[in-house]
Amino acid sequence: MDMELNETQRAIEDSCTRLFARKAGPSRARLLRAEGGFDRPLLEEMQSAGFLDLFDDAETGPLAAALVTEWASTAAALAPIGQRALIAPAAMSDIPPLVVAVGEKGRKGPVRYAAEADLLILLDGDDAQAVRKGDFVAEPVDSKFGYPMARIASAKGTALAAGSGRTARNWWRVAIAAEVAGIGRAALDLTIRYLKDRVQFDRPIASYQAIQHRLVDCHVSTDAVQWAAREAAYHRAPDELAASAAIAAEETAYRLFYEMHQLTGAIGFTREYDLHLWTMRLQTLRQEAGGINSHAHDLVHARWG
Amino acid sequence: MEFDWSKDETEFRSALKDFLSSELPEGFDAFDMPEHDAKEFSKTFAVKLAERGWLTPAWPKAYGGLDQSPWQSLILSEEMVAHGEPRFGQYMCVNWVGPALILAGTDEQKEYHLKRISRGDVMWCQGFSEPGAGSDLASLRTRAIWDGKDYVINGEKIWTSYAGVADFCFLLARTDGEAHKHRGISIFLVPTDAPGLTIRNIPSLFFDGAFNQCTFENVRAPASWMLGPENGGWPIIRKLLVNERVGVARYRRAARSLERAAKIAKAEGLFDDPTVLEALGRARAACEAARVLVYRVIDERAKGRYPDLTAYVYRVATIRAERAVYEAELHIEGLAGMAEGSVAAKQFGHAVTAGVATGTLEMQLNLIARDIVGGVGA
Repeated sequence: MDMELNETQRAIEDSCTRLFARKAGPSRARLLRAEGGFDRPLLEEMQSAGFLDLFDDAETGPLAAALVTEWASTAAALAPIGQRALIAPAAMSDIPPLVVAVGEKGRKGPVRYAAEADLLILLDGDDAQAVRKGDFVAEPVDSKFGYPMARIASAKGTALAAGSGRTARNWWRVAIAAEVAGIGRAALDLTIRYLKDRVQFDRPIASYQAIQHRLVDCHVSTDAVQWAAREAAYHRAPDELAASAAIAAEETAYRLFYEMHQLTGAIGFTREYDLHLWTMRLQTLRQEAGGINSHAHDLVHARWG
Repeated sequence: MEFDWSKDETEFRSALKDFLSSELPEGFDAFDMPEHDAKEFSKTFAVKLAERGWLTPAWPKAYGGLDQSPWQSLILSEEMVAHGEPRFGQYMCVNWVGPALILAGTDEQKEYHLKRISRGDVMWCQGFSEPGAGSDLASLRTRAIWDGKDYVINGEKIWTSYAGVADFCFLLARTDGEAHKHRGISIFLVPTDAPGLTIRNIPSLFFDGAFNQCTFENVRAPASWMLGPENGGWPIIRKLLVNERVGVARYRRAARSLERAAKIAKAEGLFDDPTVLEALGRARAACEAARVLVYRVIDERAKGRYPDLTAYVYRVATIRAERAVYEAELHIEGLAGMAEGSVAAKQFGHAVTAGVATGTLEMQLNLIARDIVGGVGA
């Protein structure tokens, strides 16, 4: 057991930090959201740097892929990184194309990045199918919740190996947790900075104990989901750890959304302030992979039959 | 970063599990027993642990330990609480009273006390909290004044666990009334039968014998009872309180309670009830979060640091786990949970006291805030 990054992981972190500082960040996310797009160039750069293919690399393994997903999310990267780096390589043996979307058969509602996807992985219970571009119809829907989304009108794919739906769902949960962890860290940092700067009643808002305790609760929740995601990824997303991480993600997303916006006050309701570039995504992530009901159901049945 | 147990660690856990399963009756829980019975049981049990070197395995070999790593200590704590903590209050001696003696004791103190602790025939209590000093421990007012022959101790300790069955008290007292509050504190190793020391049980809402009031009236303490330098108690306490904060794998005990509740839920067909599933899922996830967060504390200790922030974060997470487990159990048992002996009723005390034991939740929040928010004025 070692909770610190090893040399390889640290090197990946350094490269990611440099790449995201140049190519991602809130300004870039804002621009992309205004245009209704997503960050294909970033995804391409990540692919050429090898960051999307760490999952099957013997030296790095899925933990590194989860870390990259987390860090990208801290940098507000607007691209389906967890889908490509974690879920697709776990569900299929072929090398996945660049843009992957993941949805669930029979569930209502739009799917993140579906209109842009080269490949749609559709989960159906324990099974899954791969649907290539051209074999599905995705109708874009307007959404304020952080991501480009589209409703799947029809899809005709080929079945993936038996059990791949279950595997993909577990990795989906880990990806959600990694993403929430990354968002949580960024939203919390931004909010702490703001509350240290903003003075009300002659004191920085962050100096009030009532405020500090709520920030700390958010910090603990963010730590919890971050480490749950990392551990689950390291152990290759077994049912229980994956569902636990997703439940922690739901708890964190719920807590952070309200607290960050409440503590930031009215400026946090504006599009001019950066907070929403992270936090609005939390609402979507809370609902993915079936949301809390599905995570809890699967956790309980995996553990207690 | 990696999350694997070493071969030694896995074998240690497995050997402990086998031993505990064969030695303890199904469903054993020392905290369900009357305090005196639990103490007597722990004395017999500790001998068996000591025979295997498992009573004080983290202690250095020079003091009869096995030089085990902090990771092995965690495994020991997890397995003990998962099996009802047959060491009862002796875990305190092993986790931090002993290490405090190793850190700061004289040869005579080590010789006498470490031997007794490692034989498992002694119980300690900690004389920390006072009516006017709880989370703000350093404001304690119990005085120990040197009269040329002995220290003379006067004062009051309160909410003291295990005092009614303890043989010694690890006492904090003020030896310099003029110094800054952190700098005038000394540690005394006081036998609980010392003349002038009166122990009164305070009936508890939760656990038999959990609370006591210890009154010191002109208790004469020879200099040989002092641990560490005069007025130098606080640095020792600060280092060792981390051991106390992570010494009991509360999340593991809570997870065990949740197992019982889940069994009931399954038997009663409640696995179709989404509110039960959600509560169970949330509780299990909370236990798991505390488990993985304690790893960060242990990792720092294994690397020779004395962790602060990670230990406080872990404490907050483990308090959440205790409460989430109780909530899930209420969803499952409903009014049946109000009956004595129910799973929820047993968990209730742990869920409530978790937020106060070893320093209040709010104090942990303050300490984390100091780190993540930093200096921002009053």
